[in-house]
Amino acid sequence: MMTMSNAYIDDFPAEAKVIRAAFYSSFFALALGGVFGVIQTLHRTGYYRFIDSADYYTVLTAHGVFLVISFTIFFLVGIFTWAVTTSLDRGVEDLRFTWGWYGLMAIGITLSGVAILAGFTDATDISASVLFTFYAPLQGHPMFYLGLVLFVVGTWLAGVDWFRSWWAWKGENPDERIPLPTFMVLTTMLMWYIATLGVAAAILLFLLPWSLGWIETVNPLLTRTLFWFFGHPVVYFWLMPAYMMWYVLLPKVSGGKLFSDPLARVVFVLFLILSVPTGIHHQYLDPGIAEGFKFIAMTNTMFLLLPSLLTAFTVVASMEHGARQRGGTGYFGWLKALPWRDPVFTGMALAGLMFAAAGFSGMVNAGMNINYLVHNTFWVVGHFHLTVGTAVALTFMAVTYWFLPQVTGKALWSRSVALGQVVLWFVGMTFMSNAMHRAGLLGVPRRTAEPQYDGFEFEAAVGSIGELQAQIALGGILLTLSLVLFFANVIGTGLNGRSDDLPANEYAGTLSGPEDAPLVLDNLKLWTAIAIVLVIFAYTFPLLSIVDRGGLFGPELNPFPVSIESVTLLAFAVEHLAVGALESLSLPGLLEVIR
Amino acid sequence: MNIHTYEKVWLIAALVLIVGFIATVTYGSVGLGIAMIDDSEETVEPGELGEDERFADPRVEQVGENEYEAYVVAQTFMFSPDPIEVPAGSEVTFYVTSRDVIHSFSVAGTNINTMVIPGEVATMTVEFDEPGEYGVVCNEYCGSGHHNMEGQLHVVEEDEFDMTELSVEADDEVETGDEATIDVAVENRMLEELETTVTLEIDGETFGEDVTVAGGETETTTFTVDTADLGEGDHDWTVTVDDYEDSGTLTVVDELEEEDDDDE
Repeated sequence: MMTMSNAYIDDFPAEAKVIRAAFYSSFFALALGGVFGVIQTLHRTGYYRFIDSADYYTVLTAHGVFLVISFTIFFLVGIFTWAVTTSLDRGVEDLRFTWGWYGLMAIGITLSGVAILAGFTDATDISASVLFTFYAPLQGHPMFYLGLVLFVVGTWLAGVDWFRSWWAWKGENPDERIPLPTFMVLTTMLMWYIATLGVAAAILLFLLPWSLGWIETVNPLLTRTLFWFFGHPVVYFWLMPAYMMWYVLLPKVSGGKLFSDPLARVVFVLFLILSVPTGIHHQYLDPGIAEGFKFIAMTNTMFLLLPSLLTAFTVVASMEHGARQRGGTGYFGWLKALPWRDPVFTGMALAGLMFAAAGFSGMVNAGMNINYLVHNTFWVVGHFHLTVGTAVALTFMAVTYWFLPQVTGKALWSRSVALGQVVLWFVGMTFMSNAMHRAGLLGVPRRTAEPQYDGFEFEAAVGSIGELQAQIALGGILLTLSLVLFFANVIGTGLNGRSDDLPANEYAGTLSGPEDAPLVLDNLKLWTAIAIVLVIFAYTFPLLSIVDRGGLFGPELNPFPVSIESVTLLAFAVEHLAVGALESLSLPGLLEVIR
Repeated sequence: MNIHTYEKVWLIAALVLIVGFIATVTYGSVGLGIAMIDDSEETVEPGELGEDERFADPRVEQVGENEYEAYVVAQTFMFSPDPIEVPAGSEVTFYVTSRDVIHSFSVAGTNINTMVIPGEVATMTVEFDEPGEYGVVCNEYCGSGHHNMEGQLHVVEEDEFDMTELSVEADDEVETGDEATIDVAVENRMLEELETTVTLEIDGETFGEDVTVAGGETETTTFTVDTADLGEGDHDWTVTVDDYEDSGTLTVVDELEEEDDDDE
């Protein structure tokens, strides 16, 4: 190839193609999720309603699943592939395997997505308006659960792919430290393997057989607890890639180096250990779970603040270092020396700022007693629009402006549009999430089409409900505009010609390098073992107690909506598919892993 | 490991913050007695709530001088009882369960908030100091009519609160000259004795009788009306006990029609 540049696509053209595919899948989900987002913002606030309120929940399910499952996870498998191949400086071991897991994820999410979207039409009896949490006895079509299973298995195989790269690399470099980006990928995936056991058990043992009519009932508290076993750590699955970007990319675009490699490793180890045994903090208000178990979950959750607080220090310190390299001086004067015109930098910095705010509302959520005031109110929606909706989403969009040229070989269409986009997101989310937080304090519930009731009205101590609705609607519109600018840039870049003047594919160096990190930090087996022990401590007794109280399959209850006819046909298909898949797909992969 | 001094300070401050959070919640729980929703209640069969002594008839019950228990059932898309009425200055223990899917029982703008899971009974004890009216919402998605699921909680002035129930059984039709009877049952579901007056008004004439109903008991007062005085025709009556009222119409006829008359 006749090129002067040193971009990712020049070194790893085949991998760049996989990453592109993952990114485009992610952006497609982002577009869908965004459309459903603005529909529900306008509906809920009453500014513009063109759907029936009963359909609101289908919109909400689609918004949730497409954004927090497809958008985030497709994006992160893309950057994880970049991180492993770049930091180990080697391509994937078997490209067919790589395309295999991508394909499985794509098939899975398509099945789930079709099941959800079919809820809009009466032409088929398929629907899955069960929201992202799919609490039984609400029941979705089996295709919804099956799709989720395939998607998650796809991510498991992706992890296998990255571990294979690391093992192969380790064989050739036995005495070297695991490069930081790869270390982050591996610890994140180990956490993910443990976390997804919960949702896999919920779906495979209970929800899927139940939706197919093979078992009559499920224990709602049990499947709900298994969901949250996965449901909390999944937020770290979104967040850890964003953290990775703050550690390996942000210092570089700030013009400096990462402050401390050892503490970055400590942070990821802490996430591996503490992410899973915390899920019960989503169930502080659940009857049937003893206070002591809730207390254990709370303690773990509070300690999970530690890696985030450490990250706050490292990120700011790295930015300051960068600014000083660029000539910045003074206690705060260095802030002016940062590259605020660079959308990659500004997007990540604003995302980090929002995450600090999210940290405060998160501390309120985590407090077992004060949580009663805000649980399941609009406050919570405000909170996670700052975390996954900004810390993660805005970071992902900002780094897209760096990654897109790397994996397409084309220059970014417009840096100024990109800058406008990230700022607009920040402004839109400021309006939307502060109003959501405030409305939550008044008791306005989340997850509802029309929070206006006949018998009473919510009363605002400051401002009014109307003002809060206006802020939410305005925020939603600004966020939608921001998305339009984002897609304009993605498409515009795609239409650009190949450029040979791209920045080199590099990530940040470190001030304090891996040589300062104790070797034990790289002992993944040890940390995994500790993580498993903590999960056993946190979950064995609650799960046993729930089964003991309510039975493995729970009381007699009708599924909602009541089971449907097409399910029987699908039951056959699933059986065949499952057997076929086991024989053809997983075994070779697994065998190689074992070897 | 080489850690920068500032970073060490930050690390220690972070740990102090975390331990501080845990300590305050522990103090709230142990010192102030803020209890969490827990597993203290036995499970129930959501399909058989009709036979459950607590939930067959969702209601508020008095269990002590200023202590009450409220048995609440959530189902798509309503709460019962609705409204829930309790006196100010009382301590109320709520028992909430679901007949179908997962709901919540959340009193808007307060920390009275619990998930309602079929098969499980959520319980929490709340003190109501001041009178007020609150909205109750379901804040867990429970199906296509979720947004219509609401209820009310009325905390009424202590001296305006009672748990009196009035039921009246009266003749519909009697022959002129016969006596018509109106049985008035006054149930006092509170613990202390109720002293009140049962009043019957018929055709502008008023009869009154003082009754004393012991706590948890029902007293029946029977009014006997001489129809000869009323004359033929329809006579409206009203029974009043405190704020409760029941009314109906007594028809006095010349001669009663045969029961098995096949005109109709």
